[in-house]
Amino acid sequence: MSNAVVTGTGILRVRRQYSKSLKDLAAEAAFKALDESGLDSVDYVVVSSSLSYTEIGQLGLSGHISNYIGLTGVRSIAVEDGEASGLAAVEVATYLIKSGVADNVLVIGVDKLTEFTSGRVYEDLQKINDSELFLLHKIGHAGMAGLLMRMYMNRYNIPRDELSYWPALMHSYAKENPNAMLRFAIDPLAVKKSLSIADPITLLDSFPLGDGAAALVISNSEVSRGEGLAKIKACASSTGFTNPFSQDDPLKIGSLISAYQKLIEMTGLKISDIDVMEIHDSFTITAMMILESLGLSKEGEAAKDVANGKYSKDSRPAINLSGGLKARGHPIGATGVYMIAELSRQLGGVFEGVSLNNASKALAIQINGFGSSSRLVLLERR
Amino acid sequence: MTVEDLSVPAHWRRRLTYYRLVAGRCKKCGRLHYPPAPACPYCGSKDLELIEINNKGKLETYTIIYSAPGKSRGRAPIIVGVVNIEGLRIVSELTDIEPEELKTGIDVEPVLRRMDEDTNKGIIRYAIKFRPVLVPKSEERG
Amino acid sequence: MQDILRPESKVGIHGWGTYVPRYRLPMNEILRMWGWPPGQEKGLGMKEKAVAGLDEDSVTMGWEAALNAIKRAKVNPGKIGAVFFGTESKPYAVKPSATIIAEALGITPETMASDLEFACRAASEGLRSTIGLVASNMIEYGLVIGSDTAQSSPGDVLEFTASSGAVAYIIGSRKGSVAYFEGSYTYVTDTPDFWRRALAPYPKHGEGFTGEPAYFHHIEMSVKGLLEELGLRPSDFDYAVFHQPNGKFPLRVATRLGFPKEKVLPGLVTPEIGNTYNASALLGLARVLDTARPGERVLVAPFGSGAGSDAYSVVVTDVIEERKNLAPKFNDYLLRKKTIDYALYAKYRRLYISYY
Repeated sequence: MSNAVVTGTGILRVRRQYSKSLKDLAAEAAFKALDESGLDSVDYVVVSSSLSYTEIGQLGLSGHISNYIGLTGVRSIAVEDGEASGLAAVEVATYLIKSGVADNVLVIGVDKLTEFTSGRVYEDLQKINDSELFLLHKIGHAGMAGLLMRMYMNRYNIPRDELSYWPALMHSYAKENPNAMLRFAIDPLAVKKSLSIADPITLLDSFPLGDGAAALVISNSEVSRGEGLAKIKACASSTGFTNPFSQDDPLKIGSLISAYQKLIEMTGLKISDIDVMEIHDSFTITAMMILESLGLSKEGEAAKDVANGKYSKDSRPAINLSGGLKARGHPIGATGVYMIAELSRQLGGVFEGVSLNNASKALAIQINGFGSSSRLVLLERR
Repeated sequence: MTVEDLSVPAHWRRRLTYYRLVAGRCKKCGRLHYPPAPACPYCGSKDLELIEINNKGKLETYTIIYSAPGKSRGRAPIIVGVVNIEGLRIVSELTDIEPEELKTGIDVEPVLRRMDEDTNKGIIRYAIKFRPVLVPKSEERG
Repeated sequence: MQDILRPESKVGIHGWGTYVPRYRLPMNEILRMWGWPPGQEKGLGMKEKAVAGLDEDSVTMGWEAALNAIKRAKVNPGKIGAVFFGTESKPYAVKPSATIIAEALGITPETMASDLEFACRAASEGLRSTIGLVASNMIEYGLVIGSDTAQSSPGDVLEFTASSGAVAYIIGSRKGSVAYFEGSYTYVTDTPDFWRRALAPYPKHGEGFTGEPAYFHHIEMSVKGLLEELGLRPSDFDYAVFHQPNGKFPLRVATRLGFPKEKVLPGLVTPEIGNTYNASALLGLARVLDTARPGERVLVAPFGSGAGSDAYSVVVTDVIEERKNLAPKFNDYLLRKKTIDYALYAKYRRLYISYY
């Protein structure tokens, strides 16, 4: 079977892009990725966007974007899996290569969160949760995180400030990443003092609202003839409970545990074999839940581990050197594409921010909400 | 763009779920799920029955949402809790309680309240919320 | 007259339930806000009033009162054959509130259900109608609800009293009832003492005109009519409960009819929670039932502007003792209170104009 290789990446800095449309952002990232791969065209365009319908009112996005960027006539498809859309798009692109349907696939992740005021965006983000259950109750993304964070703090008797080291660590990485939204360091003690958005979640526990686009060219290794940054080794995913509180333990992400098991079965690899990861830290509590669901930290100890420096850049795996959702930013449907672009550049030795020498294995992890689905993509150095 | 979050038919067909907390119970594994689904989310069985779980419960966790979604700004802060009723966890709004009165572990009971209304004079949506159990204080009792 | 000839005598109350929202607005907040002279509220006999929260309306309050009534009646909701909802603060101008409550309490679908309007007296008309339906065996049980989030223009004197609260009764046959009816009497005329035009947000009223030709005349006529029909005198009653638009009128009408103050006070709730409109006198009766002893006789006389009054004679039975503690009492709600200021009151009563 053919191998899928990342031969081009295009990353835009996550920020408020008032002067550019969603399609403009998609075009800019796509052109960068195509330039890097040396290609003028591809066989297939896979678009990942979660909020395009509600934020810009566009249906049939993949066709409209393909035409806008001069790729009229190529095949295209749009992929949507809430916050995990980006890795879902990478998964689809990988299968298109491996099945022989396409030799070169352009993956574009794009979302615009500043087209309207924040209240409107919070309304849209509520839909990450089970709409039937939660829309009526106005329980948004941050609200769900707040419920879980308090449960976590109560159960393990964790002081608020102990959880503040994660955002501070993320900001320290983002400061070095030119494509990050929040390029400044913060004191862990500032987290508690920042504005409460869904108590105990504060503004600094949460990802920022920003616009972004990232793109990848994924190619058949036989066609790319040794070129490229990284090989897509495996994609694993799993569905889970749409409501984390339906699980026996709401603080464990069932779909992530299940997807991780599949990855181990597919590849024989464990987390300890990984050099660098990008994880879906939409909120501080999400990061803690991921670290514990993967077994990197024991139950109730992730916050303490972070505070004690267990997840510094010198540890293995090094986590979220981009700054993570927390500080690089989280343009919802684009985020997974950012992760793969950043990790590919890490493996290729060309990442612009805090980088590792000789990293050979990288893992990207995304979750929609708190586990309706989880997705993992494993990359290897070429 | 979105005038209505929920359609009238959607609210209407879920009214028993919203008004009386009608949940599903799996006859095979015995577990409860809410809202009712066509297959048990735990074991996949389709041998299910509907039951009302409109009872008192315990508050397991809560959050105080200040970043209210746009049209709900006037209701901020929105207080939401996870209520454990006979092992089933219901995520629901809490009412008749102020942020400083919140405490995990308190007993709460279901009450019918207004949720929201469609803009442009649309329907009013009613549903169960939870409030601290009314503790009898009147002198005639006990 | 023979009891057996009166349809009322076949009918009784099986359960009663009350509801008072949690928030209270003290009178001095209104004085401060609108520049009333100190002591203005004393003329109305008012201390504070109950205010419905942001997520409450006459439907949600009526639901809770009805739930309490059903608990006390120990009746299967499916056996209730009529739901009458008396209010002048319907959440919808057109669409029944009664069906929402009936659905939420499991009374649907084999039931009558409608909203009634007669200012503060609609629920009482529902009660009289239900007595007739039960007496004629058309239905086994009926649910009567009086519930209001009363409106008053900011700055109007009405603001001192217009409040929120609900009451509900399960009516069934005399057998097994906690209290049975001896008789009822209604007196109505076309007297426009208080009204609200279609699409108007607040009612208008005739100030002093609401008193003599309206409140006093109609209540006096209905009570006198009832006493004459039943051959009873004020001294035959242990309690007298009148519609209570403020804390003073019920005491004055009692004096004029020959009922001493001490028989009125147990059922006088307005000074502490305000005028709950369709609940008002029926809420006063519910509070009396919370503590009444078997054999005691209660006079109840609701009034509604426009205008009319009903009078009922109710006799408490032995059954009442086992039912009292099956649901929260009026005083449980009274004591569960949180004092708010006028700014929060204005938010809860939706007096601000927001644009989101």
